Amino acid sequence: MIRTWTMAEMTLRDLIRRRTVVGLLFLLPLVFYLARRDDHTGQAVKFLLLGLGFTSSAAGLFATSAARSLEPRLRLGGYRTIDLYVGRLIALIAVGLAIAVPYLAVVLADQDVQRMPALALALALTVLVAAPLGMLLGSALARDMEGVLLLLAVTSAQFLTDPAKISGRVMPFWSAREIATYAVDLTDIGYLRRGVTHALVCAAILFVATAAIAAVRLRRRRHVRIVSSSAPV
Amino acid sequence: MTDQEWLVRMALELRRRAVAESRINQTVGEAVAHARDSGQTTERAFGLPEAYAAQVASSLMAHVARARPRIGEVRLAARGIGKRYRRRWVIRDVDLVVRAGQTAAVVGANGTGKSTFLAICAGFLTPDAGQVTLHGAVGFCPQDGGTLDYLRPAEHFALLGAGRGTPRAEARRTGRDLAATLQWNADSDDQARHLSGGTRQKLNLVLAALGDPEILLLDEPYQGFDQGTYLDFWDQVWQWRDRGKAVVVVTHLLENLDRVDTVLDLTPRVSEAEA
Amino acid sequence: MSPEPPDVARRGQWLRGLLDICVLALLASGESYGYELTQALECAGLGQVQGGTLYPVLLRLERAGLIEAAWRAGETGPARKYYRLTAAGRHELGAGGAAWLAFAERVGGILREGGVE
Repeated sequence: MIRTWTMAEMTLRDLIRRRTVVGLLFLLPLVFYLARRDDHTGQAVKFLLLGLGFTSSAAGLFATSAARSLEPRLRLGGYRTIDLYVGRLIALIAVGLAIAVPYLAVVLADQDVQRMPALALALALTVLVAAPLGMLLGSALARDMEGVLLLLAVTSAQFLTDPAKISGRVMPFWSAREIATYAVDLTDIGYLRRGVTHALVCAAILFVATAAIAAVRLRRRRHVRIVSSSAPV
Repeated sequence: MTDQEWLVRMALELRRRAVAESRINQTVGEAVAHARDSGQTTERAFGLPEAYAAQVASSLMAHVARARPRIGEVRLAARGIGKRYRRRWVIRDVDLVVRAGQTAAVVGANGTGKSTFLAICAGFLTPDAGQVTLHGAVGFCPQDGGTLDYLRPAEHFALLGAGRGTPRAEARRTGRDLAATLQWNADSDDQARHLSGGTRQKLNLVLAALGDPEILLLDEPYQGFDQGTYLDFWDQVWQWRDRGKAVVVVTHLLENLDRVDTVLDLTPRVSEAEA
Repeated sequence: MSPEPPDVARRGQWLRGLLDICVLALLASGESYGYELTQALECAGLGQVQGGTLYPVLLRLERAGLIEAAWRAGETGPARKYYRLTAAGRHELGAGGAAWLAFAERVGGILREGGVE
């Protein structure tokens, strides 16, 4: 456990000191929100959620690629692969939630939202999906730029697709829109249920995919035989 | 300066260079006796205290080929290692055996696969042929990179130390002491991205040796080192060897080859290149 | 401080390479201590050898097992570190000294060919 927590702590320290990323994390959702603030409440909230999802994913992307050259050495130093990505996930979720809280306050103060807990849930689930999405992009792609471009593509697609259609449902942050609709537009509970299910399934798929890539990349290779100290060679 | 001041500064510098206490006392006593006999001040007879202490420290570390350390069991055995890139064999049928208390140098021009070979030995890369047997823990130092830009050195030590469950204070102390042998004060609050290239490589080297591994694989770790630090680095390699470690250094600089036990030259032989 | 005249600087360079073998030779006739050795070198015409130069050489010779040291109260006055040759040191003196003399002879030959008397 100490390894996981140490990894989480150091990921957090590294992330917090990246002023650009932190600035982005805090301000981008606001920009998205302000863009639609004078619209209907639902739109403003949905944009906010998307903004939060985008920047949390970006943070995950940067955190993952920054540590890439260090991870094999950490493995040599005694870390298990699972310590590394679970630790990182914890840090990313912590950061995402830390941002979500003030935004919850902003929306509550600024808008008239009936179903508050649902809104809080929407924020939390957005972070829960965004973190492993960013980690997946960071571990699947060799270069930061490619990851950012792909993230931009996914986010744009999210905006452009119709949530009612299949293509819309495949998008990772579809759940955010569903739950936001439930929270703001006072629709039936089905929206909430669908949204939560979608979020949890997405988060799980993204997490498993990230874990699989990490497990492959940092695997103990078969050409290496490790002999215990007392055995003669 | 007075003799007293000279002696104090000289002793402090010796202590900073991790010279044994008994030896420090002897050196001080000798300087006192010489000053008395010659009627000169210590400064006149010995020069600057720090410079004299540096000379004494390096004389202590200069090991003569005669005083061989005990050669122990095999720590690294790489046999038949081959790696292909597209359809060309970058390295082929490469063997290397390094025992405890031995050093090996992997040499060859750029592009001959030195870093690839070391990565294969460390288990970072899968070869197309061959096997590696490791007998003990491994520490690896890359040519560059390998650090987290926004973390401080002490945080790096804590992070790596946690891998073996080393308490944070102990990991930081070990890191600091290792850094001192490379003339680097690792207590600074500078983030890794603010360190100069040479200093960042010192961090890399310290991280490789932090867990006191039995096997050290160092890939040209001296990038950005000035001449003094480069010498310190090789002194450290001999010390690790004498403490029973197996040390493999990838290098394209050839001066220290007469002091290593094995030289692995990856330059392709003409017949192979034509194959 | 004005720069050293070239012959002093060159002499310094030669001495750096030969000081260890000279010390071994001086100790062949019996044990001695640091200051006495510098005096002997000066008497032999090699100029002033400072403590800062001599003691690291003594340390290296000791680490190599060619000389051994003991703290003793001398005949005149307080304690000093006395050095003496070991068997290995005596052997090294013979081999290294002979090699140097042969080398010097060859260098002399080149110089004489060049017209140096």
